[in-house]
Amino acid sequence: MPRAVWSGSISFGLVSIPVKLFTAVSSKSVRFNQIDRRTGSRVRQRLVSEADGSEVERSDIAKGYAVRSGEYVLVDDSELESLDPKSEHTIDIEEFVDLADIDPVMFDKAYWLAPDPSTAKPYALLAETLAEAGRVAIARFVMRSRQQLGAIRSVDGRLVMSTMNWADELVDPSELPGFDALDGLEVSDRERALADQLVESLVAEWEPEKYEDTHRERVLALLERKAAGDDEIVTTSEGGDSGGEVVDLMAALEASVEGRRTAKGRHPSSSSDAGEEAPAERQAATKKAPAKRKAASAKKAPAKKAPAKKAPAKRKAASAKKAPARKSA
Amino acid sequence: MSSRTSVTFEGRRLSVSNLDKVLYPATGFTKGDMIDYYARVASVLTPHLAGRGVTLRRFPDGVEAGSFFEKRCPSHRPEWVDTAPGPGEGREDGIDYCVLDDAPSLVWAANLGAIELHAPLHVASDPDHPTAMVFDLDPGPGTDATHCAVVAERLAERLADDDLTGVVKTSGSKGLQLYVPLNGAPRVGLKRARPTYEHTRAYALTVGAELEAETPNEVTTTMARAARTRKVFVDWSQNHQHKTTVAVYSLRGREHPTASTPLHWDEVATLAGGTLLAFTAGEVLDRVDDLGDLFAPVLEDRQSLPDVDRSVLDR
Repeated sequence: MPRAVWSGSISFGLVSIPVKLFTAVSSKSVRFNQIDRRTGSRVRQRLVSEADGSEVERSDIAKGYAVRSGEYVLVDDSELESLDPKSEHTIDIEEFVDLADIDPVMFDKAYWLAPDPSTAKPYALLAETLAEAGRVAIARFVMRSRQQLGAIRSVDGRLVMSTMNWADELVDPSELPGFDALDGLEVSDRERALADQLVESLVAEWEPEKYEDTHRERVLALLERKAAGDDEIVTTSEGGDSGGEVVDLMAALEASVEGRRTAKGRHPSSSSDAGEEAPAERQAATKKAPAKRKAASAKKAPAKKAPAKKAPAKRKAASAKKAPARKSA
Repeated sequence: MSSRTSVTFEGRRLSVSNLDKVLYPATGFTKGDMIDYYARVASVLTPHLAGRGVTLRRFPDGVEAGSFFEKRCPSHRPEWVDTAPGPGEGREDGIDYCVLDDAPSLVWAANLGAIELHAPLHVASDPDHPTAMVFDLDPGPGTDATHCAVVAERLAERLADDDLTGVVKTSGSKGLQLYVPLNGAPRVGLKRARPTYEHTRAYALTVGAELEAETPNEVTTTMARAARTRKVFVDWSQNHQHKTTVAVYSLRGREHPTASTPLHWDEVATLAGGTLLAFTAGEVLDRVDDLGDLFAPVLEDRQSLPDVDRSVLDR
């Protein structure tokens, strides 16, 4: 039996209605395990230190917030917990609105609100009232130490709550590329009439059962065939070649690169200051190569002089880390 | 969402995606920049990859996120990307590696986020005979590329005693690599024609051990990390059929888009004198424009390796 993900009560005026939350949607994506091809055993991920590759215990792992590249502020869980919203275990209804006024983009996840058998009556009353008024209750509650906004509505006498995105989390489409092409665009009446006609011809009753995840079906069919020992492998074709506009690679790169290149020089990298590799004139401590070594070197000297570019003489403390060089396998 | 674009490049058709994705957050270097780099460096890079099965090190979400080595050439490759068999996954018959011997193949790999290309020292058609020998100079804690350069110069001096020359490249990371071209020298006198990996490994260890004996506080041939502190590790063991070394001109998945860059011996001397050098993608392209392929001798020069006692490998 599925487990409740939250329990508490709906608080509505003077009434308190205990409920349990169950997820209303269960993902049916096919899940795979990772297997060592050589031995057939499951593989496991370990958390290792970048410094020396040794395994790190969970208890030794702290949260770090990068203030700048390579520098972190560490925080304890207890410090964050003190900031968490107090969990009151109540779903506080604040107002009732029209469902049609809420754009679907606001909805996040859906949960069934299951009643407590001992207080089924006030639950049924709220469900019926919402249904008849055609309203949705907007409520605040705290789940997993996050403040959440929920929209409660009645479906066949049962309450379902959708968590909602905060208005300031929505991406403003005017900041996305492409939409500005719509500005000032006009369509003729004739074009509109044609489009209307096309839409009319495809109008249907909404039957969600008509739509299936056909990819999942195909994956499951493949797995069934393989499990049955029929080793037929489905081959896939390169997806990118199917239709669409074809442009020259360099033109595509230009389109992507040109803006930044004019801003920063031929390549963004060429103007950047030196990395952890580049920095620093080293001090006199380094041994000078004896002059006679030049003999061996001279052999190889090509006609042109190499521009011995010197990296800027600065070494950031943060970048002077001593990560061990990784070997290619 | 991925934004795919179908493109044509040198007569091939392929799709590229997410050109604006930043792969190097420290500099803003994007996937488009990386594809541009590999497309432009292809003329000097592909000869060094021709006929060799490369291992891709892919960073799908940039250098600050995860990476993985991919030996098996992805099955969704275009049919014009060549493959070559090589060792892998414990299989007798091996697996197929990608052969990136033309510019479109390089662009295709770059579009997969394959920032790093690692290549074996042999061509797939002759896996027992390396075309070059490598001394991989790895700076231990407390040392850096300048110390590696001092060792590279000492190695060059020692190699000259055996009538051998070499070319140095940066690893693009912290160290240097000295490549000694072999290229199946014709039979001369009693010298062996085409050295095996066992031969190059034994020679590299013998020469490395000589330097170690001269300056035990500066050079080590011991793999153990503890033995490397304040020393340059002369990694002779890279001379192995199953090992790969970062390819010349390959970018590295470091903080900055640095590439493995061939150096002029004058620059090695500058390095040995204490000035660190690192070259990022744009600088490498400028160098190629000015200098051509400084690494070409690694493909062209034919040299013979003197015989050495293989028992050093048993120590």
